[in-house]
Amino acid sequence: MARDKIYQEEEFPSPIMQLWVNFRQTPIVMIGFGCFLFLIILAVFAPFITPYNTIENHLDSILLPPAWHVNGDISYLLGTDNLGRDMLSRLMHGTSLTFGLSFIVVLISLVIGVIIGSFSALTKGLKSSFLNHFLDVVLSIPSLLMAIVIVAILGPGLSNTLWAIVIVLIPQFIHITRNAVKEEFAKDYVLASKLDGAGSLRILYYSIFPNIIEKIIAQATLAQSAAILDIAALGFLGLGAPIPMPEWGAMLATGIDNFYIAPWTVYLPGLAILFSVVATNLVGEGMRHALKLRKES
Amino acid sequence: MSALLQVSNLSKSYETAGFWFNRKMITALDPISFEIKAHKTLAIVGETGSGKSTLAKLLVGAENPTTGKIKLNGQTLHHGNFKQRCQHIRMIFQDSGTTLNPSLTIHQLLDEPLHLNTDLNEAQRSVLIRETLQKVGLLGDHMSFYPHMFSGGQKQRISLARAIILKPQVIILDEALAALDPSLRSQMVNLLLDLQQQMGLAFILISHNLGIVRHFSDDMMVLCQGQVVEVGKTVEVLSKPEHKYTKKLIMNQRFQLLHK
Amino acid sequence: MNLLDIRNLSIELLSANNPILAVDRVSLTIKEGEVRGLVGESGSGKSLLAQAIIGVLDERWRVDADRFHWRGIDLMRLSIEERKAVISKDVAMIFQEPMACLDPTTTIGEQLEEAVDNEQLSGYFWQKRQQRKLAAAKLLHKVGIKNHELCTKSYPHQLTEALCQRVMIAMALAKRPLLLIADEPTAAMESTNQGQIFRLLASLNQLKNMSILLISHDLENVTHWTNTITVMYSGQFVEAGTTKHIFDQPFHPYTRALVDSSPKANSQIPVKSRLMTLPGSIPILQHLPIGCRLGPRCPRAQKACVQAPKVKNYHGHQVSCHYSLKDSY
Repeated sequence: MARDKIYQEEEFPSPIMQLWVNFRQTPIVMIGFGCFLFLIILAVFAPFITPYNTIENHLDSILLPPAWHVNGDISYLLGTDNLGRDMLSRLMHGTSLTFGLSFIVVLISLVIGVIIGSFSALTKGLKSSFLNHFLDVVLSIPSLLMAIVIVAILGPGLSNTLWAIVIVLIPQFIHITRNAVKEEFAKDYVLASKLDGAGSLRILYYSIFPNIIEKIIAQATLAQSAAILDIAALGFLGLGAPIPMPEWGAMLATGIDNFYIAPWTVYLPGLAILFSVVATNLVGEGMRHALKLRKES
Repeated sequence: MSALLQVSNLSKSYETAGFWFNRKMITALDPISFEIKAHKTLAIVGETGSGKSTLAKLLVGAENPTTGKIKLNGQTLHHGNFKQRCQHIRMIFQDSGTTLNPSLTIHQLLDEPLHLNTDLNEAQRSVLIRETLQKVGLLGDHMSFYPHMFSGGQKQRISLARAIILKPQVIILDEALAALDPSLRSQMVNLLLDLQQQMGLAFILISHNLGIVRHFSDDMMVLCQGQVVEVGKTVEVLSKPEHKYTKKLIMNQRFQLLHK
Repeated sequence: MNLLDIRNLSIELLSANNPILAVDRVSLTIKEGEVRGLVGESGSGKSLLAQAIIGVLDERWRVDADRFHWRGIDLMRLSIEERKAVISKDVAMIFQEPMACLDPTTTIGEQLEEAVDNEQLSGYFWQKRQQRKLAAAKLLHKVGIKNHELCTKSYPHQLTEALCQRVMIAMALAKRPLLLIADEPTAAMESTNQGQIFRLLASLNQLKNMSILLISHDLENVTHWTNTITVMYSGQFVEAGTTKHIFDQPFHPYTRALVDSSPKANSQIPVKSRLMTLPGSIPILQHLPIGCRLGPRCPRAQKACVQAPKVKNYHGHQVSCHYSLKDSY
């Protein structure tokens, strides 16, 4: 029949592959992505590869400066803190605490938020509004303050910090999911699926989620940088991880007392926090930029 | 030939949203009755707000009629029973940009109605999909492409493939030809005529382009603000319009219908 | 005198690996008081051509022409800023989907007042505000909106598409242009409103002697309201001439196919028979055929069509084809 012109490319890029190709084109985003992956690997494997045990005290080498200093020792690459614990091992273990915990926190709040948001979008009227807005009271209080309040109720400790920050991050996912799903419902292909006899869950899973997953992930990276800062802040205030644990915020708090004689105990954890937040933001920004490019082309 | 689709007293009215005392009943469509036979095309003409999209949605089952019944081959169609309806009545939408899910390949897209409504296994489904794509003028290899790789005319063909894959008896074209370029529109019309011949389909064409209506339809119905203003054979309605509204419509497109 | 004289204009897309010629040597002339139609389907480059005339293409595109004269001034010699200054004084453009072209956050009155030309106001600076309002109201009257108070106070989303298009035309008229380019002004409208807009444009053309370049993909709509037509296909020039000639005796196979697919021609063939069409579809930018771009689809194509044809002129009816249908009439 008709001799239609078709694509003469060999591969058939799916929309996700297109996103990846756009993502790859900015070098700085790829550097950020590499750092992000490095942090994830470190967070998973840190307890196995640290050179020293993180809570072991080496009382003969207290407050040693980092190895590039005149007085530093190569066996303690980044120096030691006021109890003789090796900074490098503590920082690496801290990755799995601060960074890894933020990842888990975002994952949990994403799942809960998406479920509530989808239910809110599927129903109409009062039920939908209730589901959409009942956690908005959480949005109205600054996230750190909210986390402090919850931790003050539940008591300090790492798991309570986790729940506090999960609760703080849920409302944004609810709103994003509900708006995205409502927007998708207005499109014709969802109506076509419904007319074919697909149930609501099947429509959600096959027709809607593949198209909104990118928006949710872009929001998740934003949430993660906020989560890292919140966990570190709570640790700094003494409300998060208990003292011997090498969480970056807690390390900052102990290092402050010795700031003038041993500045590395302060700036090294601070740089670690900065590094992880910048890497997360670069990945998030790269993803949003790639989404925009894909929409334009 | 007995009627394929019989509509009797179909109407739709709904309340506007608002406070309890402030709600008004708006009639989108006054009671309407008509019949369609196989191999025939009914054109529904009207401006926006005339109720033609409401009628399309009622026929295909996307909305619940306030009154009236729709009978297909003697069987009444119930609202909400999509599985029963979709084997017989299918619809093609207007805006080809949002008719196809951008994250699915064409294979997955056409597989879904088959998976939900027939008992064929995977291999049989693939074969059927390939045949359907060839019927609408695309290649079988197009199965693994994504929708963004097609042009507007090809996307409408894929919509058509999705409509005919369940071998329905009635297809509703909701302004499906309006957004296409003239040459693509002619190709699509030829394709639809061929399919009507081969499969014995009945079409319901909703359009405001009287040139296409004149060429493609046997009967014609003119809607104005939810009411049927004029109904009859296309040739008669266009050459001797009786109602004022029909006359106005034809006047505005007069140059399309006169031949020099 | 020719208002606009373009010869062999090409627009090249520079960003791809190999530059793509989106518009390939198109010629266009517009006289004073003439309504010219520019017909082409999607992908024909007609919107690109209009944007190149106005001068709004960004650095991805390179515009090149043998001759690009506006009222005798050679625009290719001027710098981009000077070109824009010359053109924006006398040329205005209206677009598809007028509601999307208006600012949704300000009232129509404010947008109209912004469009009013400063030089046409006289008087002291404290009088200018009042004069601006008067000028905006007068513009609305010119396009047929009688009660301007209601219109100036509303926001774009409160008006219908046809009314928004009239407002766009009013804004375009603010600078008293000599040429109005209408890029598919009625594509988003119903037929009754389309007729209104076209009648308005025709009356403006007759009353103010303003030339109009009407861009559309709908041949039958355009033939009713224009004096001359230029047809484009896939970025190439196909045919140009008076409307009557083009419709009665199309020389190029593509124009003939367009004419055959219009309802006027179809009214003579029996109902529900096959329409005459060209096989295949419009080539995409990445895979343009060499030579005459209609080649793969043309029923009269032969070996010579691998070379781009030259423009031949038969008493004002120009056609660019190796095997034109001239001899069959």
